Amino acid sequence: MAKKKERTYEKDVIGDGIHSIRKVIEPPKEPSNHRMKYALIGMSALFLILMLVLPLIVVISNALRDGWNTYVGAILDEYTIKALKLTVAATLCAVVVNTIFGIFASYLLSKFYFRGRQLLATLIDIPFSISPVIAGLLFILTFGNVGWMGEFLKSNGIKIVFAVPGVILATIFVTLPFVFRELFPVMNSQGKDEEEAAALMGAGGFTIFRKITFPHIKWALMYGVILCTARAMGEFGAVSVISGHLRGKTITLPLHVEILYNEFHTTAAFAVSSLLVILAVLILIARNIVEWKRK
Amino acid sequence: MKKRMVAGVLSMGMTLSLLFTGCGGGPGESENGSRELLNVSYDPTREFYVTYNELFSEYWKEKTGEEIRITQSHGGSGSQARSVIEGNEADVVTLALAHDIMAIEDAGLIENGWMEELEKNSAPYTSTIVFLVRKGNEKGIQDWDDLVKEGVEVITPNPKTSGGACWNFLAAWAYEQKQNGGDEEATKAFMKKLYENVLVLDSGARGATNTFVENRQGDVLIAWENEAYLSMEQYPGEYEMVTPSISILAEPSVAVVDSNAKEHGTEELAKAYLEYLYSADAQRLAGENYYRPSDEEIQKEFSQQFNFDMELVTMDDFGGWKEAYDTYFDDGGVFDQIYDCKNNE
Amino acid sequence: MYVEMRHVNKTFDGFHASRDVSFAIKKGHMAALLGPSGSGKTTILRMIAGLDQPDSGDILIDEVRVNDLRASKRGIGFVFQNYALFRYMTVADNIAFGLEVQKKSKAEIKARVEELLELISMKELGKRYPHQLSGGQRQRVAFARALAPRPQILLLDEPFAAIDAKVRQELRTWLKEMIGRVGITSIFVTHDQEEAMEIADRIILINQGKVEQIGTPAEICSCPETEFAADFIDARRFEALMSMK
Repeated sequence: MAKKKERTYEKDVIGDGIHSIRKVIEPPKEPSNHRMKYALIGMSALFLILMLVLPLIVVISNALRDGWNTYVGAILDEYTIKALKLTVAATLCAVVVNTIFGIFASYLLSKFYFRGRQLLATLIDIPFSISPVIAGLLFILTFGNVGWMGEFLKSNGIKIVFAVPGVILATIFVTLPFVFRELFPVMNSQGKDEEEAAALMGAGGFTIFRKITFPHIKWALMYGVILCTARAMGEFGAVSVISGHLRGKTITLPLHVEILYNEFHTTAAFAVSSLLVILAVLILIARNIVEWKRK
Repeated sequence: MKKRMVAGVLSMGMTLSLLFTGCGGGPGESENGSRELLNVSYDPTREFYVTYNELFSEYWKEKTGEEIRITQSHGGSGSQARSVIEGNEADVVTLALAHDIMAIEDAGLIENGWMEELEKNSAPYTSTIVFLVRKGNEKGIQDWDDLVKEGVEVITPNPKTSGGACWNFLAAWAYEQKQNGGDEEATKAFMKKLYENVLVLDSGARGATNTFVENRQGDVLIAWENEAYLSMEQYPGEYEMVTPSISILAEPSVAVVDSNAKEHGTEELAKAYLEYLYSADAQRLAGENYYRPSDEEIQKEFSQQFNFDMELVTMDDFGGWKEAYDTYFDDGGVFDQIYDCKNNE
Repeated sequence: MYVEMRHVNKTFDGFHASRDVSFAIKKGHMAALLGPSGSGKTTILRMIAGLDQPDSGDILIDEVRVNDLRASKRGIGFVFQNYALFRYMTVADNIAFGLEVQKKSKAEIKARVEELLELISMKELGKRYPHQLSGGQRQRVAFARALAPRPQILLLDEPFAAIDAKVRQELRTWLKEMIGRVGITSIFVTHDQEEAMEIADRIILINQGKVEQIGTPAEICSCPETEFAADFIDARRFEALMSMK
């Protein structure tokens, strides 16, 4: 009897640009042009080594240039720890908010038809197309002192820009579409028949989500969360604009790297960078596990 | 029914995100309740204020018994001033030039007359503009006119965002004015040539230094004297400093941001922070960080280090910062004219 | 009358899906909504189920107006066109779902699931997932799932459309027999007149959102009341079918 692992065509049909790359795994049916193949492999490998592997080696070797103790010292530095904490906090907030948002937005857009549906989908994509620096400036122009809501916020004692909330807000903004982008095609392809069938039998909204929708989107959701995490941790532009560069307060890891670099602490800068690299590798591993499980 | 639920949870999500974002505190008080001072400064002062903050914290604790925390923020002087105007709640600003503080004053955050509040035009340390070249000075750069020669690659930041860059510009301007006896058109042509040789126009002085020192771009960096010294200290034996025949007395100004300090209840602390910059210890510290102390007595201690014989023009020669900024750096000013022309070619 | 529609109208974005639809079905009968694709059959079915709301007109079940009654309270079992089986649940869990939602006891659910698995002759396959079943098996599961909470009415949307022509005939017979055995009032949507003729007691002929004619298969065939009915129904095929019986 076939067990759960059996692959069926149904699950492989996702059909959006991001996922279709997975089909590469399937071996080609017809024998291909070998010279062409190896030339392409060579070019890709060269490009990857030049653009990816080499810089990574540079980061790690520079980080360890002055020995292990310097490395540990740079990482355990008070400001690095603070930057790490803020980065983790901002990432967590972004992931939580965008997961909730992503689930509801894609649920809304894939299961209900209403006027402005297309507009909403486009709006959610804005952070993808807008430069993060512009995003940061927009927040300053909205919530800053001279900004549109400046008076109101100031009189109520709420600080957003040049403070932690601004950093978090900017991180949420730039990672807004990630979970949605992953979930929407999956939810859309599922259709609403199963939900309708469940509703017809008297299941409530939450039960439907838990038993019908969630099992279907589980891996896509994980994947979205992972992408969102990666992006949130690495965000520089928007956060840089909105942070005000307050050392130990609004500095995230990427900003901290810049500061260290600017202060001639090159080794420390690379050490902190390596921290980001390690986090990125962990995320990559998690991502591959999720991709594998999803099949 | 489903729709209502979706709407409900959507709004819950939004509330949640607001909650998340509402939980951060602003400056003024820190987590352990001790008072906090935010010093928004310009690019090259990073190292100086790290040590000065320690010095002042100790002094303040000895004097009052109060533990304080000082937060630093660094960037291009102009952008830093703008961030304060836009809501970065600095208690004190220690910027590269008086004009940037005037901008904050114009926004109503600093009271009039701040320049007279402290000694020496509220400039506790000064500096000047010099050249930094690579060891051996292959292009033989000695003075400003060597910078306009063909094939010389110059690194200087953008005067629109960097205070240091304004000083660089004015020093070059003063040199050429003197050379050609005050022919403004000729000077403009000279400046245009100079900026045509600029390879990278960074947004802050430290960015420019990094471009030159760490990324090894260009033949000469027009730099703060302190920045040049710091680079030589960081990379011993790799760089040489060249002092031009004429330069400018750069007076980085400091001021209490009155409205913020009032709000945070840090007025007297902020004032003390700036006043202590004039103390002998702090003046010496400034000297050690390659800033020229404004105290004549302490200056003598550093006579070996600084070339006090350089001919330095002052801002008075330009009619003060307000006039100088309007003429040279404001939109449509001299800098725009020469830099625009370059782009149009 | 058990299921009744009175002057029901429905539009979607300006498209008139139902125009003054009225009909009634007796208890225990099996009715077919027959018409070309796009004629509004499915819309009628969905309105009876409560998945769509009519713009005007009344829907009655057992003499009670149900327009404002929630879908889940109408006592309806629904077999979707593509079955809409819960793909992440086993066959048994699929059948049990409606009972679990009603918070029935574990023992009761187990008994009912077994009974239904027996009914659809899939006793051995309760632990399988939908994607491990053939089309015919899926349809049987969908049927069992719809029946599990003991509905008063069974609605089927093109129940044979997704099935191979080869096994369709077999399934048709099976379904008719099953429904007969359960004795439930049922309405199914089809565009295939042969199918309607063979299974239904009553045919409701639909075209462009309107009811063209209501009657037994024989009535519809022998005396079509409208031009459309005459056109749509191929009398010779009907006769051939009748003689086969």
